[in-house]
Amino acid sequence: MTRYVVRRLLQAIPTLLGVSVISFALVYNSPGDPILIRTFDPNITQETREILRRQLGLDQHWSLQYIGWLTGITVRRGDVAEEFTRPETQCSFVAGLHTTFCDNGAGILRGDLGTSIATKQAVWDRLVERMPATFELGISALLVSLLLGVPLGVLSAVYQGSIFDNLVRVMAVIGNALPAFWFGLMLIFIFGVVLGWLPTGGRQTVSLTNEFDLGDRLRHLILPTMILAFGGIAGISRFMRTETLEVIRTDYIRTAKAKGIAASRVWFIHALRNALIPLMTILGPAILGVLSGAVITETIFSWPGMGRMTFSAAIQRDYPTVLGAVMFFALLTILGNVLSDILYGVVDPRVRLS
Amino acid sequence: MVYKKFSLLAVLLVAALVLAACPQPTPIVQTVTEEVVVTPTPVPPMQGGVWVEGSSTDATILNPILASDSPSFDVLSWFFPSLLGQDPFSGAIVPTDMAESWEVSEDGLVWTFHLRDGVMWSDGEQVTADDFKFTYDAIASDLVETPRKSNLANIESIEILDPLTIQVTYSEVQCDALNNLGLGWLPSHLYAEDFSDVMDSPLNEAPTSSAGEFIFNEWMRDDNITVLRNDTYWKGSPNMDGWIYKVVPDPGARLAQLQTGELDLIGVQPEQLTTVQLDPNLNLYKFKDDGYSYIGLNQANPENPQAGQDDDGNLVEQDPHPILSDLAVRRAIAHALDYDTIISKVYLGQGYQIAANVLPAVEWAHDPSLQPYEFDTEQAAQILEDAGWTDSDEDGVRECNGCTTAEEGAPLTLRLQTNAGNTTREDLGVLAKDQLDSIGFNIQFEAIEFGTLVGELLGQTFDMVIIGWTGLGTDPNDDSFWHSKFDTPGSGFNFVSYQNPRIDELLEQAVSVPGCAPAERAPFYQEIQQIIHEDIPYVFVTGSVGNIGYSKKFNGVDPGPWIFYHNIESWSLAP
Repeated sequence: MTRYVVRRLLQAIPTLLGVSVISFALVYNSPGDPILIRTFDPNITQETREILRRQLGLDQHWSLQYIGWLTGITVRRGDVAEEFTRPETQCSFVAGLHTTFCDNGAGILRGDLGTSIATKQAVWDRLVERMPATFELGISALLVSLLLGVPLGVLSAVYQGSIFDNLVRVMAVIGNALPAFWFGLMLIFIFGVVLGWLPTGGRQTVSLTNEFDLGDRLRHLILPTMILAFGGIAGISRFMRTETLEVIRTDYIRTAKAKGIAASRVWFIHALRNALIPLMTILGPAILGVLSGAVITETIFSWPGMGRMTFSAAIQRDYPTVLGAVMFFALLTILGNVLSDILYGVVDPRVRLS
Repeated sequence: MVYKKFSLLAVLLVAALVLAACPQPTPIVQTVTEEVVVTPTPVPPMQGGVWVEGSSTDATILNPILASDSPSFDVLSWFFPSLLGQDPFSGAIVPTDMAESWEVSEDGLVWTFHLRDGVMWSDGEQVTADDFKFTYDAIASDLVETPRKSNLANIESIEILDPLTIQVTYSEVQCDALNNLGLGWLPSHLYAEDFSDVMDSPLNEAPTSSAGEFIFNEWMRDDNITVLRNDTYWKGSPNMDGWIYKVVPDPGARLAQLQTGELDLIGVQPEQLTTVQLDPNLNLYKFKDDGYSYIGLNQANPENPQAGQDDDGNLVEQDPHPILSDLAVRRAIAHALDYDTIISKVYLGQGYQIAANVLPAVEWAHDPSLQPYEFDTEQAAQILEDAGWTDSDEDGVRECNGCTTAEEGAPLTLRLQTNAGNTTREDLGVLAKDQLDSIGFNIQFEAIEFGTLVGELLGQTFDMVIIGWTGLGTDPNDDSFWHSKFDTPGSGFNFVSYQNPRIDELLEQAVSVPGCAPAERAPFYQEIQQIIHEDIPYVFVTGSVGNIGYSKKFNGVDPGPWIFYHNIESWSLAP
């Protein structure tokens, strides 16, 4: 088992390297320019823009910028050591090569995701800042999806063809079809504006002190969780229905029934256990989905999560932030898949990890 | 039965979706002259209360020389003193901030500013000329990555005569130069003298020292920024406890929060006006904003963008646009658009037609005698006929049959672009395409992502673009849009490659009038407007109108079009 995990993790290294090259090339070669977007102002001269571009290293070819991003070492022709030396950046001119090498002590290989162009914050700090909000919403949505989706799916299977089954099916279709940006606004309008029962957005009631209040936090969670869980409930209930239908027709369930065990015990203890196994395969990606945030729901409900941050960083062409987020999510995806495989082996002893 | 139920549900669902997709009924918005009720401040004014402003995006950095986005300035303007103040109603530069008075040398090059005494940072240090000089020296420093380096253009030296007197020397007279001295000052006593910590100072996120109305309290990124009243503010401590900047990205959610009282102020979108007007707890402040929307017409060939001047400043003849370099085509476009319908249907009444580049708000320079182009499709069609653009093959699209700029038989096909997500511009694009196609154009309209559009625009690879200018300010100098030296592919703002030596000359003369008296500058700007009106590098669509919805929670609110909060220190909670 340990060997398997270690091997999977070692395999992740070339994958991450590949992800970094491809995403870096895509991001840097896509249309749009971070300097122009920031200085789309007639009062800012071209000279100013060029200085800014040079200071940020954006005037270099993307492959050189990639090396800088990876290792923290930038390379420039000529003796420019003095121009680029900063408190945290050491530069030296190698006369033989007629090249200046600068080391800013960062670089992703040294575990530093770089600095945001827009906010001048460390990218890792930006991600960490938004993790609590993202996890809070994501985990509650996942829990609700599982807690409602699994029993709804099992019951649909048991009462296959009944009104209940059809109702769940119609709800699943609606849940998948309703766009979150519309449904979210409707819920805000109904529960926030008309009825006044729930807050219309944000993570807590904003005040000058912003004191922590659990009840208030939970009230703010209800609507966005509902929106985010709606699709999850739909998906999981359909999935569980199919799996349970398969299991329910097996011999051991028939035996259990024949032995006179209570129906609910047969469904939720005997059948559910085996029906849950395939769910493990979608759980890894589902957890990843939770952690990477949900752009639309976060936008509608003013939720300060990672999805919204990454999206607006992309719009703003804040390359370091976008790439930092991509690398973080790539790592999560790999870990999520490994976890999913391990869980599969744990719940189903027939599966051997090799 | 099951199917019946299902289909009923489906019908309901479809109906709900269709209803949601329907455009809101156009509100009949008459030009409401806002009645500003200035309630006499009760004595003593009621203390306490919090004002919450809603914003679509969060600030990025709370440093006046590093920030380049308006949300950052919305917040940091509470903390940092500035040399010059602005009249909230006229926009004129006035001595209401750090400079109490100033004088100018006869040649107009040396400006001496006398600073207000006794203005303190909230940590007890006095605000002095050192802070001003430190800020502008920081901008010049190699260590500081800032888009504000242009603010130093033309400044020869900044000298401190004494702690309360600053002398700024310019290398040449530039009538709008004062605008460059308006940046907020950094508290120099909290920074290293060599500027080495400006970029990564913790003050950029938490500017703890303030010389303004409020003191920074807390910043929860993408959520809210809170500030508390500054008891040592030199104009007098505000009555309210604090002010909050709350990020609510979705416009519908912002309106909902304004209605529930979770927000006290939002920028109102045209389709939301009726809701705000009908709400008894809300006020609506409508004002003419300092911007306009236009369709830019590229005069040069988008396949071969060239700079407008060579290195020695000589005009470079442009490779002309095969269609749009024909003045007749530009005039036909200007006449083919139904401006009344556009303003009422697309802008939902929130606009006014303009004839040229100087807005009526800049009263002294605006030429009121110019009339906007009239909507007249027959005349537009006739102009095209006369210019040799006729539909010889009767396919509905005109071709060049004797026109002066394109090859024979070339169709009248043009691309029209705008930024996706701006629904007003997208609607305008659809309408413009419709109206232009009806007189024989073949317009290919597309909405693309803003960053990409900016690249096409400044790269000068477009034909026609729908875009707008905002924040034009109070000075009519807009040489960056028209002067040939700003026709630099990839960067310059004369991206329509407009080239007219007379305009270059007028723009230069208008900003270098000795003494800069408006009456002497005005004739230059009036001639500029007349020429721009004739030459049609832009089709001017509408002047911008701003709408702010705000709560009635406080008394004393007296919004100006330039500054909403100018008297916030005297606001007090309504009883």
